[in-house]
Amino acid sequence: MCRSAAALSMTALATQSGYFNGMSALAQRSVKQPAGDAVPADYRALVCIFLLGGNDGNNLIVPNHNDANVSNYAAYSAARATQGLALPQASLLPITVPRIGGLTYGMHPAMGTVTGGINPGLHPLWATGKMAALTNVGTLVRPMTRAEYQNGTVPRPRQLFSHTDQSNQQMNANAGEVTMSGWGGRMSDKMSASNNPGRLVPTVNSIAGERLFTIGEQLMPLAIGPAPTPLSSILALTGTTGTAAANARYAALNGGFGLTSSNELETASNAVHREALVIAGSLNNSTDVTVAFPNTSIGNQLKQIARLIKNRTALSMNRQIFFCTLDGFDTHSGQLNAQTGLFTQLSQACRAFYDEMTAQSLGSKVTQFTLSDFGRTFNPAGSGVNVGSDHAWANHSLVIGDSVIGGDFYGMNTNNGTPFPTLVQNGPDDADMGGTARGRWIPTTGVEQYAATLAKWFGLEQADMSYVFPNLSNFSQTDLGFMLP
Amino acid sequence: MKRLISAAFLSLALIASAAAQDDPNPNSPSPVLLGSADAGRVLAVEPGAFSGRLPKTAKTAFNAGRDSEAVLFLRRLRLLEGEGANAFRVYLKQPSGRTFELTSEEILPTGRDVIALRIRLWDIAGYRGQPTDSGDSWIYVTWRGMASNPLKIALGTQGGKAGPPPDFAAATAPNTPDFVGYRWSADRTRFLEQATFGPLTAVDDRVRRIGLRTWLAEQFEAPYPYIPLPDPPQMPTTPPTDCQAGTNPTCFRERYSMVPLQQWFFREAFYGNAQLRHRTAWALSQILVTSGLTTQQSSHAIAYHKILYDGAFGNYRYLLGDVTLSPTMGNYLDMVRSTKNNPNENYPREILQLFSIGLFELNQDGTQRLDGQGRPIPTFDQTIINDLARVFTGWTYCNTQSCGNATPGIVNYKDPMVLIPANHDLGAKTLLSYPGAAVTSIAACTDCTTDAAILAYANRSLKDALNNIFGHPNVGPFIGKLLIQHMVTSDPSPAYVSRVAAAFNNNGSGVRGDMKAVIRAILLDPEARGDVKTAPRYGKLREPVQIVTNLGRLFPAKAYNGIDPSDGGVSSYVAAMGQNPFYSPTVFNYFLPDHTIPGTTINAPEFELLNSGTAVKRTNFLYVLGFEGLTANATDALRGTSLDYSEMVPIAQGDPTGGQLVDALNTKMMHGTMTPAHRSLILSAVQAVAATDPTLRVKTAVYLIAASSQYQVQK
Repeated sequence: MCRSAAALSMTALATQSGYFNGMSALAQRSVKQPAGDAVPADYRALVCIFLLGGNDGNNLIVPNHNDANVSNYAAYSAARATQGLALPQASLLPITVPRIGGLTYGMHPAMGTVTGGINPGLHPLWATGKMAALTNVGTLVRPMTRAEYQNGTVPRPRQLFSHTDQSNQQMNANAGEVTMSGWGGRMSDKMSASNNPGRLVPTVNSIAGERLFTIGEQLMPLAIGPAPTPLSSILALTGTTGTAAANARYAALNGGFGLTSSNELETASNAVHREALVIAGSLNNSTDVTVAFPNTSIGNQLKQIARLIKNRTALSMNRQIFFCTLDGFDTHSGQLNAQTGLFTQLSQACRAFYDEMTAQSLGSKVTQFTLSDFGRTFNPAGSGVNVGSDHAWANHSLVIGDSVIGGDFYGMNTNNGTPFPTLVQNGPDDADMGGTARGRWIPTTGVEQYAATLAKWFGLEQADMSYVFPNLSNFSQTDLGFMLP
Repeated sequence: MKRLISAAFLSLALIASAAAQDDPNPNSPSPVLLGSADAGRVLAVEPGAFSGRLPKTAKTAFNAGRDSEAVLFLRRLRLLEGEGANAFRVYLKQPSGRTFELTSEEILPTGRDVIALRIRLWDIAGYRGQPTDSGDSWIYVTWRGMASNPLKIALGTQGGKAGPPPDFAAATAPNTPDFVGYRWSADRTRFLEQATFGPLTAVDDRVRRIGLRTWLAEQFEAPYPYIPLPDPPQMPTTPPTDCQAGTNPTCFRERYSMVPLQQWFFREAFYGNAQLRHRTAWALSQILVTSGLTTQQSSHAIAYHKILYDGAFGNYRYLLGDVTLSPTMGNYLDMVRSTKNNPNENYPREILQLFSIGLFELNQDGTQRLDGQGRPIPTFDQTIINDLARVFTGWTYCNTQSCGNATPGIVNYKDPMVLIPANHDLGAKTLLSYPGAAVTSIAACTDCTTDAAILAYANRSLKDALNNIFGHPNVGPFIGKLLIQHMVTSDPSPAYVSRVAAAFNNNGSGVRGDMKAVIRAILLDPEARGDVKTAPRYGKLREPVQIVTNLGRLFPAKAYNGIDPSDGGVSSYVAAMGQNPFYSPTVFNYFLPDHTIPGTTINAPEFELLNSGTAVKRTNFLYVLGFEGLTANATDALRGTSLDYSEMVPIAQGDPTGGQLVDALNTKMMHGTMTPAHRSLILSAVQAVAATDPTLRVKTAVYLIAASSQYQVQK
């Protein structure tokens, strides 16, 4: 057992100094102790699954009806079939949408039972009311009409259609500004002291690096690697054999990370290393999950999150925010195969996570939700086996959990009186104009409306909403109603 | 002495084109901020109170604010031509612990031996808020990577809790002034960290003898690669039955995977002589990104890498052209599938956003130009993307006999893409518009009735479009700053960027885009050179590839058996630290150039790869490499990799106190910058190892230095 000596000493360090108290060199990484608000009695967690690259939501949720009053399958097929990007109607997994008069829509076939799958996927959760869709949601400074978009009388989000800018705006919920913090991190700023007073890890945990979503103005996330590496060894040092020489080496290593430096890069690097060594001690005795997860990137990330949740009591956590990513959605070409593979991974992993939460009796305490850079052009790019789609704007997102009022669409109505966009290029929801318009839907619901609804369920105080979502007052409805209290 | 002279003659004989030279002193002095009569306080006045002479008394207190200005005074410095206010960066450390970078506005004329610097008491970006009137704060200035003395400035009122002054004292660097050539031994080490994959004693000796400029000239001509590139065949649509991934994994790996390229890359870094070209090509591969996630075969990726290393010392315009017509890039960013009926927007967007001009208009010094309302000005909009997409239509893989590498049944990833005339858009297009643009539009084709006419029109259009992009004033500062960040420092001063951009704009002979001039400007700049840099944000975190290659050169990489050469099979370890070579996760590279360390305003791209999880992976990798060696395996490391400490063991053996060992490693690894506190920590761990085991002592000391943040930040 080569970890024991270091693990012991690191546990000792954690106990002795309290969480992060010894880490004041970078004030931003240290954590203040509680302010005195009541600690909530229950546990809640938000799990953000970021679909990197810009998922084509137009093929995630497709009209599966023939009602000509709203965009129907024929409208979808007319735009996408010739170039080969339309999903066959028979392959769609039907979902009923009460919000649109009980019409039937369809989910991508990979969202249900698949060959080689280890569970039934996400689609069945629609019928049981545990999954909802946010439709036509996207980055906005404030709501804007097509005319306002064109004539520039309402500020546009900075750098529409650019990956880095748009994914950052999804994560910072502040489309008008470049900011150094995201909305997960800012919730942590406001809630950590009161909700997690005894926490042994930060409130925000990322399995996909310190992305903008996870970074607060004051507080930093914990970023660790995915399963299969067990939590107990994910931050363990190699070579801590317990001999006198090894102990002296460990002391020098640890001491080195504690040296002050006039170079701020060194100071920042030291802070990361010290935090890792402290938290390693807290994760030393972790227990594993029981439900089978797919052995995929997103499966292993969600599995690691499920383990952290399972060990929440030992870590003294009452509120946790998690972040993970699934990459590969930038499907300028080869979209049909790519998206089928990605949706299969997503659906299988999220369903395994949902089932694991049920097994942990936390079905109503943990909510999964998706974000993505942007939607993609309704008009395909290329044709045949190479068909894909280009960068666009509004998109559809999924919310999953037993506290979700599922089985319906949510979001503000578009011009057609439903929350689903009119699937017509150069139509009322298209940001593009004229004969070459490609169907880049203008969002009717801002990311912050979607996020604020989740944040309210999570327990963010009304008074703190403007800190986390600075543009929220630009939107009339701040609770979209898809969450139980 | 005689031997030295003959060595100098030898190098002269070898280098016909450039003579050995005694380089000038590379050290820039630390700037000195002038204090007022009240000891410890800065001498500063409001611009309105500045008469052109050094004031006798300072203003008692200033207010933080967008419209609040002050004039500071620095002891006279010899400035380069063009070195204005943008050479100085002004920092304010407040009682809150936050540090702000104030706006450095203008150097005002003075009649005395001082520099008067007008500043604005307002953060340059405001990403982490703005300074407040919170009493005494510390103000200091950096110039060419050197920090000034910190002095107090009162905001609001005097007094309060400014805390102790920031301490910029640096350990002195050793200097061995006993040779002609480049004498500054600490700066030689720094130089080799920036220009190569790690200092090597033999290379250090050579630079010492012939000087930096001559060495650069030699490197520009050095044969490359040293380790022959593997030349695996391209995979047919279906691999042959005796070379399938499932049944013949070894054959499949050696022919059709990315492993041969990755192994070659590390061997070339460990053992190659043309280090500057290898390092520059690696930097370019992180700017003009393609990825093994899409380009899954070495044969394809090598064809692309050849473009980068051929172009590394050529002209950036040709590099842009070769990359544009590369089938690997064509596949990665979809130009290979872009036709007039379905123009694809991927490549046109990224060639602008990532490969040439970026999203916002820049000044020559890389700072953003602002409009009347103080907002950045976008360089392009969707209409430019739409039109540029149509220029790039019609090219695809060359599978006709005219291309040397075309083989039936195999997609040709080696030869440049060729035009299918019927797929090229013939309409008029609007290009980027900027001052001095030679061509800003392409007319519709009027005579495109034959394939030959369309081909001529398409090639002319492509040339016009690439010239239009290449001519944009952003390219110099945009590409120059990226290369500085990859080689020297994460957050260069605008003046440094401006000097490099000037070299890009004109190499001295009127040529724009000369990469040799750009690289020379980057590596010889006074902000890159000097024995020691004290500015608190100077340097860059070593990327994972550097961690392994630097050590593999300092302590020559061997196979696991300690005898044979390493096979370069270290990619899986580097990947675990977040940087799988030639497998960038997206076209945005492993890390973004504007990444800011979470919780701070420090621009440090490589920190995007450093978090709790990867920090431990770095430390553990150093343990495995340094103490045990990377074992051989049948998958991707037939011989494994270990470090050769034979240079250090006798030093450890000769001094039971361990002091000489630590001092020798301080010189070798940290160019003399180890602090006494760090030295004493390492020494205590060394002394805990029996003196009878000098090898273990060396391993212990190397591990502790390499794992320390003081080493991991290249500076």
